[in-house]
Amino acid sequence: MSASRALVTQAGPFPPFARAPPLGYNGPVRPRSLALATLALALATALVLLAPRPARAFGDVGAFDPRVLLTGNQTGPARGSAPARWSWELIQRTSAPARLRPSLVRADDPAIVDGPFLYWSGDSEVAPLTGAEVAGLRRFFSLGGVVLVDDAGATEKGAVSAFGRSARREIARVLPDTTPIGLGTDHVLFRTFYLLRRAEGRVEGPPSLDAVVRGGQAQVIFSEHDLGGALARGSSGMWEQPVVPGGDVQRELAIRLAVNIAMYVLCSNYKDDQVHAPFLMRRRALATP
Amino acid sequence: MLSTHLGPSGDLQPWAVWLAVALAMASFGMLLVEMRRRERGGMAIAASGLLAVVALLAAVLRPARVSARESVVGARVVVLADTSRSMALMQPGEARWATRDRAVEALAKAGVNTRLVVLGFGEGPPASLPLSLSDRASSELTARAPHSDLGAAVRALAASPEERPAAVVVVSDGRLDDPPEDASEAGLQALRDELRVPIDTVATTRDAPADASVRHVSAAGAAVAHVPLPLRVEVGCAGGLACDELTVTARELRDDGPPSVLASGIAHVKEGKAALDLTITLERAGARIVEIAVAPPPGDTIAENDRRLVTFDVARERVRVLHVAGRPTNDVRALRQWLKSDASVDVVAFFILRTPTDDVHASQNELALIPFPVDELFTEHLPSFDAIVLQDFDAQPYGLEKYLPNVQRYVRGGGGLVMVGGQNSFVAGGYAGTPLAEVLPVELDGTPGATSADTSSFVPEWTAEGRAAPLLEPLRDVVGDELPQMAGANVVGDVRPGGVALWSHPTRTTKSGARMPVLAVGEEGDGRTIALAVDGAWEFEFSPLGASSAGRGHGALWDGLLGWLMRDPRFEPAQMEVPGGCTAGLPSKLHARMLPAREGSKPQTVVLDVTRIDRHDAPIHIERARPPDASSIDLALPPLEAGGYTARLRIAGGATTRHDFACEAGGDEWADSRPDPRRLEALASATGGSFVFAADAATLPLPKPTVVSAERHVTPIAPPWAWTLAAAALLGVHWVARRRSGLS
Repeated sequence: MSASRALVTQAGPFPPFARAPPLGYNGPVRPRSLALATLALALATALVLLAPRPARAFGDVGAFDPRVLLTGNQTGPARGSAPARWSWELIQRTSAPARLRPSLVRADDPAIVDGPFLYWSGDSEVAPLTGAEVAGLRRFFSLGGVVLVDDAGATEKGAVSAFGRSARREIARVLPDTTPIGLGTDHVLFRTFYLLRRAEGRVEGPPSLDAVVRGGQAQVIFSEHDLGGALARGSSGMWEQPVVPGGDVQRELAIRLAVNIAMYVLCSNYKDDQVHAPFLMRRRALATP
Repeated sequence: MLSTHLGPSGDLQPWAVWLAVALAMASFGMLLVEMRRRERGGMAIAASGLLAVVALLAAVLRPARVSARESVVGARVVVLADTSRSMALMQPGEARWATRDRAVEALAKAGVNTRLVVLGFGEGPPASLPLSLSDRASSELTARAPHSDLGAAVRALAASPEERPAAVVVVSDGRLDDPPEDASEAGLQALRDELRVPIDTVATTRDAPADASVRHVSAAGAAVAHVPLPLRVEVGCAGGLACDELTVTARELRDDGPPSVLASGIAHVKEGKAALDLTITLERAGARIVEIAVAPPPGDTIAENDRRLVTFDVARERVRVLHVAGRPTNDVRALRQWLKSDASVDVVAFFILRTPTDDVHASQNELALIPFPVDELFTEHLPSFDAIVLQDFDAQPYGLEKYLPNVQRYVRGGGGLVMVGGQNSFVAGGYAGTPLAEVLPVELDGTPGATSADTSSFVPEWTAEGRAAPLLEPLRDVVGDELPQMAGANVVGDVRPGGVALWSHPTRTTKSGARMPVLAVGEEGDGRTIALAVDGAWEFEFSPLGASSAGRGHGALWDGLLGWLMRDPRFEPAQMEVPGGCTAGLPSKLHARMLPAREGSKPQTVVLDVTRIDRHDAPIHIERARPPDASSIDLALPPLEAGGYTARLRIAGGATTRHDFACEAGGDEWADSRPDPRRLEALASATGGSFVFAADAATLPLPKPTVVSAERHVTPIAPPWAWTLAAAALLGVHWVARRRSGLS
């Protein structure tokens, strides 16, 4: 984009990060005395009362919603707590709003076109899609929607489960003129928020993701890593699935991939803009291997 | 006048008369040749022979007395008098038009035997010009034309069904548009070929006034926003004015402040003229008025042509949009994808992906985040953008507050601004009471405790202006009257003066009791702004409504909004022009072509406000009822001072449309004040006419009158048999004379 290039080259480097607006600042607040704390509390209360009231509920409709796609006799996602945890992680780590109670939608439900994202997971073979389900998904894709197909049955050795194979088969029926291609780590999906070197999940799986790309956009993303397995966390606060072979580090990287996928849905190829290029190249070089 | 003379019989054709005379003379000549060889009787034979020949000729011609009533008809002479504005320039002693009128009067006196028709030429076909105008009013009436197009006048005369003139006399200062200064002889002869008569010329003066001026400004190519545009400025000095160097300055007239200097340079004058190349860069698209001025030396007598006002219609190569979003949402996604899908839009986007309270569990080097370059964007790079979109963006945490005055100046200087709703927009974004709020089309409540959002879901309603607005026509074509349900809205106030609400909230009202605007547009200074107080436009894509319209509603909405912001003619309620241009001090008119009114709509009022671009005077306000079914309207403008003007037209309370135009005191006609008698002399020479100066106008040779006979009576002197008998008798006498001298 020539204009972006002009912006960067004419303006010179942006200010150093230390002088940048407080995007990265998250330092602790240490009140020096109880009196000071009380005063601060009173002041904060007054500010809250006097300041314009923010619209807490306003905007939730446009928030990221990892809607669970149900087909055939599916009744829920393979990892029941994963979608909500995905939203929670997104809210904690980014400015993106997300729905903590993700919705479920069947492929043949007219509501399938109510949002731009669907999360389709499973660990067993899915039944062939009905005509209504195929039509619903085609409507969804025609509007530019994105589907993450997450193979919860992928083995630790990286073998695709019956779900993964059957899901690919059914996607091929919905989008017959397309073929999945590999998304290497140079794809924008691996830098929409975090700089990632490979795809991660509950299992190590292949380093890249596959995707059906239409109009320059990855509309169907295939994960053979059980991303939901790494995200799933029970009400007790314990992770539901062990992550192998990398343990917590791998889980963290899987969560980062989930954040990146959400950011890809919300920002599309924003990080491909020319204005980001010199920063990201420099940071890739600095990042630890 | 009654006249009588002899003539041949009326039944003879002229050729027969001449043939008979020729035969008679030949016969007599042969007789004389024959007689040279005779020694006696020669005189008798010659005399009888001559009588016989004459008698024979008389028998053929049968002479008659012709009585006729005759009249003298003067030749039609058309005088083409120059009525262009250059005739109002002063020459020694008087204005050029006064000299012109005296020359025409002299021609009229000299041509008493001609039918003199005096026409004025300037622009298009010539028009009748009254003679004997000798007061100041004459100047106003006969020296107003913005051009001096002699070629068009001659061609119109040639095409006229009226009698073709026997002569054409041009009275002018010679500073003509057509034929041009460098016209070839063949080009000048072409004018004669039009009428097939010579063109006589009368020059009013040979003396040039003491004057330095901007004679001509030309641009190399079309003007494109942000792209350097080379200009060639031709300047001149005449009338003995001493000027070796002239400083030339190019300034853009702006309504957000004083004119901004675009370029300047020094022109080195040689032989009274110079050309200077300047390069200017215009940042804003649309009509832009640039003043090209010279600093005149002392003694300059014509101040009006020291500056020219040139209107550039600046196009866009691509629309540069700065898209700033406070957080990524479905609405941000939809707008970004639409902006990126349009090849004519150049997007520079900055989304806030992380706030200070977010815990990313990673070091800076593991993040693909870059700092938000607020300083650079809203200072040095701001003018390079055609539009700014602030979507769900809070000004305070990112240090934008201190740059809001820049954004205000940017808008008033011609930039476009869209504020899109969300939990960080409008009042919630801390914009109330800021300079930015002063350019938004809606008011913002900045009082403590003001409600920033209404979280109840609703379906926006179309206002009457919204239904009629051309910018929402594409959306209506896709979704009709249906709009998606919104989850809530930012609370905004009434529409500010100059703004128009296109959608409104169905139940919520403003403090004034009016329905709260949801989508409003407005003009501020030279720029335009849009307030979209919801964040659910993405539902034109992803919703049952979106599915039923293949998601095209979102693109149609933004196509109209951004197009209107960029003054795309498709979304303007009217197209305006000032036919013939505007000349300072003279009345003019503004012609507006309007979109057709909807069937069954109420009678509409057309409101026009004309303001000076570089001065904040009270606008000239004109209101007219739109005639039923009228697709255009002419609005008379009073005489205006020299300068740049903005005309804002509003139809039936809808969005305004704007047209910038310049009023020049001198204009093209005064740009070069020198008379050009040489061109008139060359024209006369090339067409076979005569050239004189005005003082000698009476000596110009004019065509002679034509005699026309009426009531003609032909009376034979003798009956035909008498002429025949006389001829026979005289032939007999001649025969006897020849026999007596031995001839046969």
